[in-house]
Amino acid sequence: MRTRMTARCCLTMLLLGTTAIVLSGCNEGGDPNAEIGANPKLPELTQYLLPPMNVAHVVGWKQGETPTVAPGLKIEALATGLQHPRSLYTLPNGDVLVVESKAPPAPPPKRPKDIIMGFVESWATSGGSTGPSNRITLLHDANGDGIPESKSVYIDHLNSPFGVALVGNDLYVANTDAIVKYPYRPGETEMKAQGTTLMELPGGPIDHHWTKSLVASKDGSLLYVGVGSNSNITENGIEAEKNRADILEVNRDSGRWRVFASGLRNPNGLSFEPQSGALWTVVNERDEIGPDLVPDYMTSVKDGAFYGWPYSYYGQHVDPRVMPQRPDLVAKAIPPDYALSSHVAPLGMVFYTADALPQAYRGGAFVGEHGSWNRTPLNGYKVIYVPFSDGKPSGAAQDVVTGFLNNDNQARGRPVGLAVDKTGALLIADDVGNTVWRVTATGS
Amino acid sequence: MTPADNLQPTAQIARHPIHVMLVPVPITCFVGALITDIVYYFTAEMMWADFSAWLLVVGLIVGVLAAIAGLTDFIGNRGIRNLSAAWLHMFGNVAVLVVAFFNVLIHTRDAWTSVVPTGIILSIITVLILPVTGWLGWTMVYRHGVAVDRVGVAP
Repeated sequence: MRTRMTARCCLTMLLLGTTAIVLSGCNEGGDPNAEIGANPKLPELTQYLLPPMNVAHVVGWKQGETPTVAPGLKIEALATGLQHPRSLYTLPNGDVLVVESKAPPAPPPKRPKDIIMGFVESWATSGGSTGPSNRITLLHDANGDGIPESKSVYIDHLNSPFGVALVGNDLYVANTDAIVKYPYRPGETEMKAQGTTLMELPGGPIDHHWTKSLVASKDGSLLYVGVGSNSNITENGIEAEKNRADILEVNRDSGRWRVFASGLRNPNGLSFEPQSGALWTVVNERDEIGPDLVPDYMTSVKDGAFYGWPYSYYGQHVDPRVMPQRPDLVAKAIPPDYALSSHVAPLGMVFYTADALPQAYRGGAFVGEHGSWNRTPLNGYKVIYVPFSDGKPSGAAQDVVTGFLNNDNQARGRPVGLAVDKTGALLIADDVGNTVWRVTATGS
Repeated sequence: MTPADNLQPTAQIARHPIHVMLVPVPITCFVGALITDIVYYFTAEMMWADFSAWLLVVGLIVGVLAAIAGLTDFIGNRGIRNLSAAWLHMFGNVAVLVVAFFNVLIHTRDAWTSVVPTGIILSIITVLILPVTGWLGWTMVYRHGVAVDRVGVAP
């Protein structure tokens, strides 16, 4: 009897011990800066026993607190008290549109995991009940001193909007389920007219990656819209991914559209590189195969190109989680141009063509990194600058705006969309700090 | 004195043993999860993997409740503890729950590797242990009369 009891105790201890070791399994990432630039060295993929989650608790900005800027720059709030500002657009007269947006309602859980992850993620997304969002606020700052003379709700009751593009007097808003056209009249502080739908976009009922980035071609005839995937890695079924993980090209006159490029898991920050005229995007890559996989990236987008998702990443690195596999597509997947490090969640990008910021920031791209939620240590939560020459990234990325995390790794804010205002200042939408930040040169 | 007279369960409701009332749920769920894993293996249709995930979680939760009831009977009655079948039954079913626990975690992965190969292997192991522990459980009840109420039955 005694030996039996001892045996039982030993077995129990053994089981508990193994469980503890396995569950505390390593999720420590390596040096995130090692994965920045062209041709990053990728580690072997690892599969988890527990889905990795490391969410920064939201504390918000206290009175007088601001993000930290690189030397030669200063930062001030352009507008505060907003409701999840996620993207920004500067109109020709200098007015700034702030797109305030909330995620569409979550679909019913498909798996027990959805319930748990939804609960944990709710800590990260700005926490607590919030007021009216899903609208566009107009900031009017006629003298360009960074203190708007007026702030008004420009368009209300939108459906999780994100991208905005103005062509002539046609103002396009990319809701999560459609591109809607409004008649723009300079100086108006409130849109009186109803919008008309140019084209429907893949929206609910799942709508996993819901932000639809939008940009117009230089001649104004075409619109490009980014449509993110409907899952991490096809776990909602491949049929849910129809026309997703794509950049679509839309004819502005007819509304006819086609897939311009595919295999881009969650493309945002669509912008034209000023020297080459090429379309660029920042992309959020897949999760749950390691703290250092897969690096998010920025890339030029070639017509008809396939960038891997879901079947492979960075060219021909096959993802074993996708079945059936498609060796034919993997063979033609092209690697992206420039890695930004894993899980930084780039959601905004703007090329800097003005001349108000120091010389070091001209000609390249600013990228807003929303920050990681499944990696230790946290990664992203900053705005970086990637220098360009001859239409390509040239050199290391530099931190420009940091301090969105405090010393205890709590989120005071999270940068999303970027824009450059009429004076050449960099604007940053902070959807957790509910602020639009304005970065200028010191002494300007 | 019949053998069953001192083998009454501690966890019981009106002399109905709780353990016996709960065990069909994890057995059904774990067998069901193996079937849906197999169908997913052949179809790669995510719906089946989702079924597996639900079945495993429900099976694990009710299985833990059944284990608590069973352990209560085991600890609460020296006569039951003296049966070697009871020990083997316990070890086997603890193993089932441990394997199912890891299987729940494997099934939280996304898409194909939530099932193939580790998930489906763990589902097979679970279902292979169940007839053994089930047999031992029936030995306890039908041979030794554990939890059999002899009130009103002629000796």
